[in-house]
Amino acid sequence: MRRFRIGLTLRIVAVLVVLGIAAFPLYWMLVTALSSNADLFAERPRLLPDFSHFGVFVDGLAEGKVGGWLLNSLLIAVGTTVLSIGLGIPLGYALSRFSFRGKAVLTVVLLFTQMLPEALMVVPLFSLFRRFNLLDSLAGLILANVAFVLPIVALILKGAIDGLPRELEEAARVDGARPLAVLTRVNVPLIAPSIAATAVISFFHAWNEYVFAVTFIFTPEKQPASVGIANFIGELGTPIQTVMAVAFMFTLPAVAFYLFAQKYVVAGMTAGAVKG
Amino acid sequence: MKKRRVRRSMMAATTTIIGVASILLAGCTADSGGDDGGVAKISFAASTFGDPGRGPLLNQWLEEFNKSQSKVQVSAAAVPYPTFGQTVLTQMGSGQGPDLIRFDMPEFEAASDAGLIAPLDDLVDVSKYTLLKQPDQFVVHDGVRHGVIFEASNYAMFYNADLIPKPPTTYEQFVETAKSLTKGDVFGLAFRQTEAEEAGVWQDIFNYVYGFGGKWSDGKTLTINSPDNLKGLQAYKDLYDAKVIPKGADAATFRRMFAEGKVGMELNNGGYVTATRGQNAKLNFNVAPIPFPVRTQGAILAPVVINEASEEKEAAATFIRWTLEPANQVKLQEILGASSVATVTQRSAESLKKTPFLPVFDGLTESSLPQIVLGFEAKTPDIRKVVVQNVVAALQGQVDLKTALDRAQQQATELVG
Repeated sequence: MRRFRIGLTLRIVAVLVVLGIAAFPLYWMLVTALSSNADLFAERPRLLPDFSHFGVFVDGLAEGKVGGWLLNSLLIAVGTTVLSIGLGIPLGYALSRFSFRGKAVLTVVLLFTQMLPEALMVVPLFSLFRRFNLLDSLAGLILANVAFVLPIVALILKGAIDGLPRELEEAARVDGARPLAVLTRVNVPLIAPSIAATAVISFFHAWNEYVFAVTFIFTPEKQPASVGIANFIGELGTPIQTVMAVAFMFTLPAVAFYLFAQKYVVAGMTAGAVKG
Repeated sequence: MKKRRVRRSMMAATTTIIGVASILLAGCTADSGGDDGGVAKISFAASTFGDPGRGPLLNQWLEEFNKSQSKVQVSAAAVPYPTFGQTVLTQMGSGQGPDLIRFDMPEFEAASDAGLIAPLDDLVDVSKYTLLKQPDQFVVHDGVRHGVIFEASNYAMFYNADLIPKPPTTYEQFVETAKSLTKGDVFGLAFRQTEAEEAGVWQDIFNYVYGFGGKWSDGKTLTINSPDNLKGLQAYKDLYDAKVIPKGADAATFRRMFAEGKVGMELNNGGYVTATRGQNAKLNFNVAPIPFPVRTQGAILAPVVINEASEEKEAAATFIRWTLEPANQVKLQEILGASSVATVTQRSAESLKKTPFLPVFDGLTESSLPQIVLGFEAKTPDIRKVVVQNVVAALQGQVDLKTALDRAQQQATELVG
């Protein structure tokens, strides 16, 4: 009994330490945003936030730009997530269930796209987008993000569908279900945890993406928050508290989305663990 | 039969997804622009729009242009400073980008060499204006004008007057002052020292190289590893090793520290005056020439250019002509702080009263040089990368400075051919 309690205490301590390490950057952003100029570079840094400087958040939002940036980021992230999952499910299904010539090559090619850094793709994508009039539009940015995220989404979903017994599909077909119904009503609910995991990957990628966004978007009103925050960094000066306040606000929607999807992700990670 | 049904269903699924995606994307697509009633809308990209102090004032200045015009309207294109050159050059290289750009010299030279900048000779008649000859010569290549100076800003030594009542006048005093000031959370000096700030490190080491009699080239051959360059960069490294700077702090951080009285000295250009006041209006600071053995220092030359791909070149030229008008030049100079502008202007008595050290900057114009490699102007960004990489490696103790410079010389020579 005593050994059990010690073990439990150690586990709680370990969880708290890990939690502290994970949450510290967010906390430090908050403390810095709420610091006075004098506290910012004091020999002994301030460890607790000073809420008398909360105005920096109000000022940041009152300027109007930040709300617009966050909305653009949200549109881009949601668009990327919806489109990559919408296309990733049939692609993953096809890779899992159909036999066709070049299937192995296609799978490897999908992996190749993950090995190219974004910076390498900027110029060719820019030329392509220019031809299709997709520059300076959130739609173009969503497509660029989907191009990068879709392969990994499709491969994860392929793995998830591989793990489903074919007998379930056959049983549904015997009951008269058409192939699309088999996919949407039988397979999709069963791979929901994996879909949630890929949604998190897609959302975070699009939320944080900078290189495409800074190059493809010209109009300030269309910039996402990842680029908007960088606009605060000037050649000769940077308002550090404002940057931290906006950065703190920038992280919150992403954290909220993760908390929403978390239970599905965890279920996805453990799914199949008990399968024989 | 079964296979055909599967195929039909998959086709239906794909069509549905594409349809939904199209509806989603349609909601986010760019405006087509439409008829703006004969008003040409142009964009102007400048990394200075993000500066606290200068940025808001520059935006107001653009608004003054817009009020004065009925057929042309200019707006600031927000391109973040950290990736400004890379972003704008990528856009221009693909036939897009802002109509007007304020470039720093290395990027200006690269863009000019690549034919990305529209020649101005037929668009702006500069003979109507009294241009400052020293900075202006660098924006004319082979008799063709590629830009007009937007800002010319000489480097000088900024010092916190509350910490340093009398500024150092020799290098030895400079080192001694930096050492004596460094204690607790106060540092005697600050400069850039990480590869992440490649362009900034280049600007900083330029003053040490030229201030000790060195130069990056003789116009025909690179001289990166010359004895004078080694002397200058050794001085830079000695200060790094002496722990008188906040190591690891980037420019944004140590400039804020300077504004808060936590850094004693900094070598910076005239634009820093307004930016510093924008961060702390009460700071008691002053400016003196850089106390290095040779009175040669860097200068930020920032020309404004017209994008060759712009469809509104005449409208962009209208903006440039407006900036060159005497009243607008004076206003621009007041916004930019201690910098010079394209034409000869008189400092107002009010400006001199508010900023008594303005003549220090003006007196350095003849001995200031743009931070490019003469004779290899268009290759400056590539040479800069090689030099900064090797110098930073020496700072971090991976290699001794002489070997680093020899290596930089070899790599850069191979690069320029």
